[in-house]
Formats: sequence, structure tokens, C-alpha cells
Amino acid sequence: MLNVLLWTPLAAGLIALAVPRTASRWVAALGALVTLVVAIALVADFDPAATGLQQVVDESWIPDLGVRYQLGVDGISVFLVLMTAALWFAVTLWSALRNEPGDGRAKLYYFLVGLAGTAALGAFTAQDLLLFVLFFDLMLIPFFFLIGTFGGLNRVAATTKMIVFTLVGSLLMLVGAIATAVLASDISGELTFSIPALQQTLLSDGNQAWIFCFFAAAFLVKMPAFPIHGWMPDAYRAAPLPVLILLSAVLSKVGAYGFLRVALPLFPDATIEFQEVIMVIALASVLYGSVMAFTQTNIRLIVGYSSIAQLGFITLGIFSLRVDGADGAVLQMVNHALVVAGIFIVIAIVYARTRTEDIREMGGQAMRAPVLAALFLVLALANLAMPGSANFIGEFYILNGVFQSKIALAFIASIGIALAAFYSLRMYQRVMHNRLPAGAESREIGLRDGLVLAPLVAAIVALALYPGLILDRGETSVTEKVSAVQAADDEQEGLIARR
Amino acid sequence: MSATTWSWLVLALPLAGSMVIAFGRAAMPGRVPGWIGTASIALAFACSIGALLALLDHPTDERQLTDSLYSYADAGGLEIQLGILVDPLAVYMCLVVTGISTLIHLYSLAYMDSDRGYARFFSYLNFFVFSMLLLVLAGNFVLLIVGWAFVGFASYALISFWYRRETATKAGMKAFVINVVGDIGLVFAAFFVFRELGTFDFLESFDAARDTFTVNEGVVIAICLLICVGAFAKSAQVPFHTWLPDAMEGPTPVSALIHAATMVTAGVYLIARMWPFFELGPTAADIAAFVGLATLLIAATIALAVTDLKRIIAYSTMSQIGYMIMGVAIGAYVGGLFMLLAHAFFKALLFMAAGSVIAAMANNQNIDRMSGFRRAMPFTSALLLIGCLALAAFPGTSGFFSKDEILAFAADRGGMYWIFAIGGYIGAVLTAFYAFRIGFRVVTGPPCEEAKELEQGHIHHAEPTNPATGEPEDAEVGFPGAEHHIAEREWPMKVAMAALGFGALFIGLLQVPGVDHVLSTFLAGTFEESPLFHIEPTVGDSWLGLAVGGSISVIGVLGAYVCYVRRPGVTVRLAERYRRLHAFLFNKWYFDELIDALVYRPTVATGRFANSVFERYVVDGIVAGATGLVKGAGSVVRGAQSGLVRGYALLLVGGFAALGIYFLVVAN
Repeated sequence: MLNVLLWTPLAAGLIALAVPRTASRWVAALGALVTLVVAIALVADFDPAATGLQQVVDESWIPDLGVRYQLGVDGISVFLVLMTAALWFAVTLWSALRNEPGDGRAKLYYFLVGLAGTAALGAFTAQDLLLFVLFFDLMLIPFFFLIGTFGGLNRVAATTKMIVFTLVGSLLMLVGAIATAVLASDISGELTFSIPALQQTLLSDGNQAWIFCFFAAAFLVKMPAFPIHGWMPDAYRAAPLPVLILLSAVLSKVGAYGFLRVALPLFPDATIEFQEVIMVIALASVLYGSVMAFTQTNIRLIVGYSSIAQLGFITLGIFSLRVDGADGAVLQMVNHALVVAGIFIVIAIVYARTRTEDIREMGGQAMRAPVLAALFLVLALANLAMPGSANFIGEFYILNGVFQSKIALAFIASIGIALAAFYSLRMYQRVMHNRLPAGAESREIGLRDGLVLAPLVAAIVALALYPGLILDRGETSVTEKVSAVQAADDEQEGLIARR
Repeated sequence: MSATTWSWLVLALPLAGSMVIAFGRAAMPGRVPGWIGTASIALAFACSIGALLALLDHPTDERQLTDSLYSYADAGGLEIQLGILVDPLAVYMCLVVTGISTLIHLYSLAYMDSDRGYARFFSYLNFFVFSMLLLVLAGNFVLLIVGWAFVGFASYALISFWYRRETATKAGMKAFVINVVGDIGLVFAAFFVFRELGTFDFLESFDAARDTFTVNEGVVIAICLLICVGAFAKSAQVPFHTWLPDAMEGPTPVSALIHAATMVTAGVYLIARMWPFFELGPTAADIAAFVGLATLLIAATIALAVTDLKRIIAYSTMSQIGYMIMGVAIGAYVGGLFMLLAHAFFKALLFMAAGSVIAAMANNQNIDRMSGFRRAMPFTSALLLIGCLALAAFPGTSGFFSKDEILAFAADRGGMYWIFAIGGYIGAVLTAFYAFRIGFRVVTGPPCEEAKELEQGHIHHAEPTNPATGEPEDAEVGFPGAEHHIAEREWPMKVAMAALGFGALFIGLLQVPGVDHVLSTFLAGTFEESPLFHIEPTVGDSWLGLAVGGSISVIGVLGAYVCYVRRPGVTVRLAERYRRLHAFLFNKWYFDELIDALVYRPTVATGRFANSVFERYVVDGIVAGATGLVKGAGSVVRGAQSGLVRGYALLLVGGFAALGIYFLVVAN
């Protein structure tokens, strides 16, 4: 099942290259739909009580190097896979319905989107460290071309910047992955990249420390976290909105997910050692992202900086090293993805009417478009983690985890919540309320956009009514990861006590 | 049916009403949305009575029922149920909320008739009531926070209801953000409770608290103070009060709803609900009481100076809520909740009368321009005076008995608590004075131009302008509508005001010292275990207090009579004589400016600095060198994309080379 899930987007992309231009977008959409159906089946099939991986695919790939083609899902990744498949379908369908891009490059576009889909799903399902790194890096290539070819203003500078940042991270991670396997083989005598196998032979504290830093750098760049978010503003301004949805909603989560999948289980001692460092970086991201979102006027950047803050919360939750914090982080990854996807669709709709992305030049849309206003309101409220939304439960779990492990950090992080209330609502008001500026038109949401946006909002509302859906399934797997770290912690304390 | 089933219905009906109106409004002609909205709240009131009767079937000490719909979130040791707690306090609040709201809906039915957003208005209004009911019925901290935040959101939606006015959208935002600060306080209170007691459930945590905490332990004080942050933000207590006067930007029935039945009373309810914590942390309770006292005095002084009719009433609310907060904080639970009930009646009435007057004034809200409406609007004038009497705590009215219940309790506790009694009496003089500043200004004197026009049968109809900025209104948004609606001509408005007027006069008879004690008997089911609940001033002391309070009220009313009827102009001369003091009060003690300077501007400045300096030099600087490298590689080959690929390859090779060198070093 995972093989079908993983390769369908790429296959659809390849077929889209081959068929005539008018058909390619529908082929891609159909491929994304199949992927989504498989992902739903995956969730339905998932056993929340079982520990370890499910739906495992395990083939030998490069035996000399100990690299295996090993896939699997657990409670952490299963909803991220579903979220990825759902957003990929939403984006492909949306692009197809809007007939974007309408020219001869459409085939290339749908191929690249499909390739990126396979890469993202691969990163969420790979259980071999090298395979994970390969998929992680593979994600970049289609995005370079998607932004570089189909992007807006300054797309070349934006892609350059993005390459530099992410490539450095990726290379560090590659080095880290190889070093992990090689050093572990010194201990166990067997060269393997399989993550479950590597978990059995943990490295010495010193080696864990530097390799952890390499991985952390790659993950933090991807999210992005303060102060290595330099690529974000340019890329957000330049990227076409459907691509930006994937970038902001899905790719950023791979970074946070990487901490749970790789860093915690493989480098537990280093995780404890660097817990405070990462938490401070995350806290800085929360505050910095919130303050910046508070003052931006470009609506894309408001969302961009607010994402930095949200990813900061997610990282805080993971590094609280408690089950509640980390489980909340998993829930929040899905929530944030759904919400930003919806907001970017609204931005595209409003841009079509006002021809601007500056909130100072918008306003008054609600009068003629009450349905659009209502949908946007739900998104804005979810974005500010309004109690009653699943985002609130995610944030509540995260903050409770942080509160119980580092109480002061939780209090400081709460500033981010108050600021989020302000900038999210300000964004909504400036677009929908006050008076319509001269020259802008106002029109109700169309069927093509509604077809994509309404189900997303419905999913957000459904999750708000029952966030336990994700929390329950995440709990077992998250507990495994967290207790692995705690075990290492106990062992260390035991050593100190014995001395 | 059991009391919990009734309570679920109480919750479901307003929500259903809100959704039906929201989704079906296109198919609803005329006043249909208004009737649906009113009917659903009226039915919720009927169900509240059902819950009351069902609860009364239980013996007094078994009147705390819980029920859960489903497990909302249960992972990592945090168990959160979608559960309600039905006890006398919750049912009492449900009765007040739904009862008063039904009348406010009935009034709005006619008042909002010509507004373009009629259906939207009732959808929001029903949602507001639902949120408040969720708040009072919640059985655990998380659901409480949800209801708490929903109330904040509903108030935002209704305050900025006329969303094409910039003043309205700003005011809505202010209310929302200040309320979020309150939410955060509650969230952290919940975290402390969970850390110490391992549960979010109310009854479980109350029981555990008694076994775990010692009196005035640090953690208990922290919990109580964080709860207070939530309560103060919602109940507009100093320094979280600045949103309340601005909330007047909403339509007048919204003001009635926010001030009487929902929202601002939530803080009073919360402190009463959390009494086991506050009695374990008496220091925190005293702090809360002092904040209440400060608020009641500050707001009363501001109400003497401002000239906007609705804002005077708004400051009077702040002041009256200050009494209630003070009451429940010092342990006068019945007094505080009794005053909540009485206040709901007369405050809703005052706003409704004010709404009618403002409509007749073509939306001019300046009290200095109003005069002599007694002949033009006899019904409205009479009910306005009833409202003012109750607000002034004139002997015999509901405000009289309820306010004294709190002050007599404070005096009875003695010692430091005398401060609250004396401060309360000082506030009472001011209250009586400004209450009749409204009453005499509007009703007596020579009729103003608008009143004269109305006496001849027309309603004055000026070009609609925004009272706050003076800019012309956007007629399309529906405000103020093509016609004005006044109580004299609309029976639903008349019925609602008459019912409230009756309550404002006579609801005080529920609890008269030495005669009856309906409320304390009923509320015993919630507070029975509280030692403070059983403190009761003797009947003689209570009547002595009533005599003092009554004379103070009469003195205040007489003062207003002298200043505004016998010798008009005295107040103007006073204001000129003490110009600085007047400006200080008129500018509301400069709280807005203070918060602006301490919170808003520093945040904006930080953001600007980060944007212009930090982003440009530091964040970009980290990578400036590396970017140059790639750009250099790119310039060798023309065409950016091939340059990128080449740069990628270059770095990839470099990375592998570094890796190779590392392993060589390690191998040696």
C-alpha cells in the first residue's frame, strides 16, 4: 500500500508529461486523488494501539552500503501522510480548475508537482536514514524549478537564496547520516542505515552531539526557525500560491517531523544536552515571528512570519520531551498545514479582485462576499488558536508540556499567543472589513475556488469537534520516542549517581 | 427529564438558532430571523426552568450533577471531557442569561428592523448567548476556556457589527485582544491546577485542592491571580477595562446584552465558581476585592464627566461590576450574584431606553444636547427613570436590596473589610448622582429640537454620521437604517422594556433581610461547604445598612436634582473651575494612552526595528557570503537556472570532499 501511495504522484506526473497539454492537468489531479484515497485507507487501516511501525515495506537496496528501501508509518507520520496527500490533491485540483499555468509549460508544472509529492511522501514514510535524506533533498529540486520558472517578482534571487540555505542544511545532514551509520558500524560491526536498527546501537555522547547539530541545522532551516529564516521572505513573495501552499504547509513540517523521527530516537543523549538550546531557538522563533507578523503589511509575509511562530510552538512541544507536548506538536503540524493552505487560497481569491497583496490597500470584501468572509474568518480564528479549534487543543497540549518541563518558557511563549490574536484578526479585518478601496472589486467566492476551499474549512471544523482523532493515534508512537530519550536520561543520571 | 438533559437542551437551542439563521437566511423574509432567534432563546429559558425544577427534586446536598457528551481529547495524561456541571449556581446563571436575553432579543426584533444585516445580527446574537451558556455550564477548565473565548469572539463580531466603520472594527479588535489576554490567564491557571492536582475537572479539582493545599500557599495564590486575570479582562476591571466603553460602537441591543446578561458578568460568575480556590488563597481574594473597589470608584468618577449617553451607562456597568467582584471576592457570594441579577434587569432596561432616545435623536449620543423628552416619549421616559432609580439603589428598588447585601456583609466581616463597606458607600453617592445626571438631562427641561419634532409626530432624521468621528455613515451597511425605531411605536420593544422595568423595581423582593431568602436557600447547593457562605449579618444590622444606603442614595439623587434641574449650569462652572481634574476624568484617567505607550507602541517599534535593521543586516548577512559564492558561479554560465544547478553541483562535490577528508582524518 505504501508503494502505491508513494509512487502514484510521480507516475501521474510522468503521464502528464506524455499526454496532450489539455489533458495533463486532469491526469495529475486524478493521480493526486488516487493518492488521497490510498492515504485515507492507510488511516482507516491504522491500529492505534500497536507499537512500532505499520505497513512496513523492507527491501534490500544497496547491500554493500547497508542501505535498505524501508518504508513504514506510525502514529506520528500517518496523519502527516494523510495531510500531505490531501493538500497535494487540493493544490493539484485547484491548479487544474483554474487552468494554471495556462501555457505550454503546464506539462512541466504538473510533472514537478507530482515529483515533489512523491518526495514529500517519501520523507514522511522512509525508515532508512539514507532514504530519508535522499527524499528530503529530492524535495528541493522540483521546488527550485517551480519557483524559478513559475514564480513572480525576483524569483531568481529568491531561488538562489533558498538553495544556499537549504543546501547547506542538506549537506550537513548527509554528512550526519553517513557518519551515524559508519560510527554505529564500528560498535555493532554491521553497516546499516535502517533507523530501527540504528536505534539499537547508540553512539557515544560526543559523536551524538555533533551529528545532532548537523541534523538540527537542516531541520531548523527547513521550518524555518529564527535566525536562519533568511530565505523565507523572498521565497514567499516569489512563489506561485499553489506552490507556496505546499512549501509552507507541507515542507516546513518535514523539518519538525525530522526531529521526532531521527533526532530523538537516534541521539537521545544529545537531545537532552541540547534541549534548552533548541527550546530557546524555538522560543525566539515564536516571539520574533509574532512581532514581525504584527508589523508586516504584505499578506503573504504575515502568514510567513506567523508560520515561523507556529513552527516555533511545534518545536517547543517536541523538545518539552513530554508525551503531551510532543503529541500536541503532531496535532499542531496537521492543523497548521490545513490552515495556511486555506489562507493562501483566500489570498489568491482576494488578489484576483484587488490586484494587491498589501493589506493596507484591501478592505470591504465582506459586503458582497459573505460566504468568503465566513470561510476566511474560520481560518483566521483557527490560525490564532481560538479555543474551540483543534489548533487550540494542539497549542494547549504543547504549552502544557512546556509548562510542566520549563515553566518560564511557557509564560514567555504565551506572548506569542496574544500577538497571534492581534495579527490574525488584523489580517482578517483589513481584507474583509472597513470600506472597499476605489478601483477594487468585490465578488462572492466562485465555484472553482469554493470546491477546494470549502472542504479544507470543513476539515478544520471537523478536527475542532474531535481533535482526539489525531491525539489518540499519535500517543503510542510519541510515547515511544519520548521514553527513549527519558531512558537515556535516566541512564545518565544513574551513571552520575554511581560515580 | 434529568437536570443535565435539560441543560444540554439549554445549550443546543441557541446554537441551533444561530446556525439555522446563518445557513437559511437567504430564504427568510422580513422579521423571520428575528423571530427564530427570539424563539430559540425563549425555549432555552423554558428549558432552564425545566433544569431548575429537576434540580429542586434532589436534596440540597446532591444538587451537583455532571454529564459528559464525549471524550474531547484524551492523550498524554490530559483527560478532557466535553462535560457540563449542573448545580444551583449554573442553573441560576442560565436563568439570568436566557431570561434577560429573551427580552433583549424581543427588543432587537423591532429595533434592528431596517438594518441590512438583520439576519447576521440575530445569528451572532444567538451565538453570543450560546457561548455564555457554555461558559456557565462548563464542567472543566478547558470547556470553560472554550466558552470564555467564544464569548470574546461573539463580542468582537457584534461590536464590529457595522464593520464598515473603522471605529467599530478597531473597538472590536480591542475587545478581542484584551479578552485573549484573559484567556491566557485562565489557560495558565488550568496548567497550575493540572500540575498540582492532576485534573481539569471542576469538582475533582475542588476536592483535591482541599486535601492538597494549605491556606495561602504560593501555588494557590498563583492560581487565583491567574483566574483573576481572566475575570478582570472579561468583566472590564482595571486595568483591563478599556475595551468596554469602546464596545459602545456596536448596536445598542448588543450593549444591553454585553452589559446585562452575558460577558461582563462572567468574571463574577468565575470567582464565585472558583470559591474553593479563593478561600484557600484569601490574600488573592483580598487583592481581587481591592481591584473591584478601585474599579468601582474610578469608573464612577469617569461617569461623572463623559458626555456620551451610552458611555456613561458603560462606565456605570464597570462600576457596578466592581461591586459584584468585590462582593464575591470577600465571600458575599449571594450578595454578588443577587446584584448580578438585579443589575441585569436595570442595565438592560437603561440601554433599551437609551437606544430609543438615541434613535429619536437621529443617533446623536451627546447627553448635553438631549433635553425634555417627557412629553415626546412618555413610556421611554418613565422606564428610563425606573432604570435610573434602580441604578441609584433608591429605597425599595432591586438595586437597593442587592447592593446593601454586599456592603452589610463587608461590614459584618469587620476589620480591614470596613474599607470595602465605606468605599462602597462612597461609590453609592456617585452612582446615585450620575444615574440622575442621565435621568434629569434626558427627561426634564425644555424640549430639545428633536423632542419637539417628535411631539408633532415625526422622528428627526438627520444625515447619519458616525458619533465618534463625525464622518458620514455608509448607508449601504444598514446603519442607522432608513427609519428609526422607538419604543413608543413598536410593541415588542415596549413589552421587553416593561418586563425589565417590572424586574428592576421588584426583583429585589426575592431576598429581603428578615423576610425571605430565596436566593441563599437555593444557592446553598453550591456554596454549602464554604464557611464564608454561612456568615450572615443580623437582621438588625442589615436594616441599619439599608437605612444608611437608602439615605445615601436619596442624597445623591437630590444632588443631581439641584445640579441639573434647580440650578442648571452649576456643573459647567465646576468643570471650568477645576479644568485639570475635569480633563483627567473626561479622558478616562488616560488609561488608553498608558496602554498604548506601554504595550502597543513598543511592540510596533520592535517589529519595525527587526524589519529594517535585523532582517536586512543580520539575517541576510548570515548568508551574504554564501550567496555571493553561488552568484559568482552563476555568472560564469549565463542563465540563472543552469547557474543554480552548477552551484548545487559545486557544493555537493565540496560536501563530499569534506566528508572524505573527515573520514581520512578519523581513519588515521
